[in-house]
Amino acid sequence: MIAQILAVAIFLVMFGLIVSEKIERHIVSMGCGVLMLVFVFGICMHSMPAVLETLNIGGILKPSFWYLAGASEEASSGINWATIIFIAGMMVMVEGMGRAGFFRWLCLYIAKMVKYKAIPIFITFMMMSFVLAMFIDSITVILFLAAVTVELAQLLGFSPVPVIISEIFCANLGGSATMCGDPPNIIIGTSLGYTFGDFVKNTGLIALISLVFVILYFYFCFHKELKQTHGDGEISYPQPESAISNEKDFIISCVIFACAVVMLVTHAQTGLTVATIGLAIGLVTLITAGRDAIVLLKKVDYKTLLFFIGLFIVVGGLEQTGILKVIADFIARVSGDNAMLMIAIVLWISAVASAFVDNIPFAATMIPIIKTLSQTAGVDLSILSWTLAIGTDIGGSGTPIGASANVVGISVASKSGHLIGWGKYCKYAAPATVLVVLISMLCIYARYF
Amino acid sequence: MEKEKQLIISVGREFGSGGHVIAEELAKRFDIPLYDDNLLMQIAEEKNLVHGDLTKYDEKPKNKLFYRTVKGHSNSPEENVANIQFEYLRKLASEGKSFVIVGRCSETKLKDFPALISVFVLGDKEVKAKRIMEKYDLSEEDAKQMMQREDWKRKSYHNYYCKGKWGDSRNYDFSINSSRLGIEKTTDMIEMFIKEKHNNPA
Repeated sequence: MIAQILAVAIFLVMFGLIVSEKIERHIVSMGCGVLMLVFVFGICMHSMPAVLETLNIGGILKPSFWYLAGASEEASSGINWATIIFIAGMMVMVEGMGRAGFFRWLCLYIAKMVKYKAIPIFITFMMMSFVLAMFIDSITVILFLAAVTVELAQLLGFSPVPVIISEIFCANLGGSATMCGDPPNIIIGTSLGYTFGDFVKNTGLIALISLVFVILYFYFCFHKELKQTHGDGEISYPQPESAISNEKDFIISCVIFACAVVMLVTHAQTGLTVATIGLAIGLVTLITAGRDAIVLLKKVDYKTLLFFIGLFIVVGGLEQTGILKVIADFIARVSGDNAMLMIAIVLWISAVASAFVDNIPFAATMIPIIKTLSQTAGVDLSILSWTLAIGTDIGGSGTPIGASANVVGISVASKSGHLIGWGKYCKYAAPATVLVVLISMLCIYARYF
Repeated sequence: MEKEKQLIISVGREFGSGGHVIAEELAKRFDIPLYDDNLLMQIAEEKNLVHGDLTKYDEKPKNKLFYRTVKGHSNSPEENVANIQFEYLRKLASEGKSFVIVGRCSETKLKDFPALISVFVLGDKEVKAKRIMEKYDLSEEDAKQMMQREDWKRKSYHNYYCKGKWGDSRNYDFSINSSRLGIEKTTDMIEMFIKEKHNNPA
């Protein structure tokens, strides 16, 4: 009982400190992780096996961590090293691509293709945001897209705000489509043993259907605002080629990105795990970068990786003490035998919670809960997984603080003087979020029940 | 005053101390432009933005509960407006322009410019309250409440962006209580100090 109370207290302190931003979140999660190991596992539970299971070092040494010959295997609880290694590898690759000018080139190339017209830029940039976010972290996608949007908006004389809000929304939507698009999906996929293809066939399909509605919705919201005031006279448009800092690096980064996509799409067939893919693309990027490898390594966001490690330990503590089972049993009791109600509860709670708090700790906490729910209530775990993924990924779009991409996109717009407060953001993004969550719920009901 | 020698006067002030009036008078006496909330108007004109959108967040403390920072990117309108102003002030200073700037953390943000002379104007509570009562046609209680509220905002705004504390005399070249000599004589004292420091820097 004391262990449970202490575990919940540590978790709540961690959540509160993350939200308050008083201390950097990696310090918070690592600090709380250490407290969990020492006080809960050590002093209260006297359980060395619980410590070892949560640290999960042994998992990395198993061949199945790197290569799965047969069917996918469920990872044990605790630190999800596959997620950490995959994200680290992707960070290195994305940094290499950014340095070579890939993202800026792509944005300018598409703008040129649509002849620098505001509405076509608006629609194609939404689609590009969706597609890129399927494979690359949404912060990077939005950082580059929003910067180019501001630049083009100034040149062509339209407001960048509608375009950036739409791009943010589509980046979060695109992230929900694949296993590597958004951190909650990577955690769900690696923790429960799903493949890239599983996500594409399930959350991907829902995201694609939603995208059609989202594009129409934003078009009707913004098409009047997007009337450009310049653009017919002599304007010197930025050329895509100007974005490429080094042609050789550019080609190499494109090839590595293509290989990463192919490896991810085929990993169920090849047996390579996401940890192997992350390690491979990270290593290849570093080898091909030559002397710049050290610069790339320095740019890796170690703070995020440490945040994940600490977070997994804290959630491991909740799991080991049985708290998450209590929550799962409560949800099961509330929804009775009604699986559809259970899906609705998981979906809407995930969406609403993710609109206000970081969706990564939320998803990590919910995974053991849906596992228990599936066992006790007999609802297919995969349906609960897709529901959780969609809820956490899409819910984040609802408010300016719901997802990292929102913060970064709004920041880029605001730095150029185009301020986006809660009112302006929520006026457009909150209804779109409700719309997509509703569409997703209907899709889940139609397909799985 | 030698026109070619750059002069930047930063005036920090407590609400009701008459700091703004003093800043206006200094701008007149040294024949240099005054920047206060008009700074945002100038920025909005240059960047082709709606002025009102920016003014709403001028010199306001960041609302930490409703906004987040991710990898150094903040989505707080208050913080972004503040940074836009700091950047613009530094640009003006780098271009060698002379001006008087009221508040906006200028004593810290322009610290690297040798042309900067920073002043902080404070005042006695009763005297400040009287000025506020007259200016805004308020009761004494309301004036004191307004003073407390506005000073809290200025303090929170300042202390979020600067290491040194708002009003701490160690952060300014010259701190003066305007209630002791009155606005005009205080302005004379500051003018004298600025002339001396500007013409004969230590």
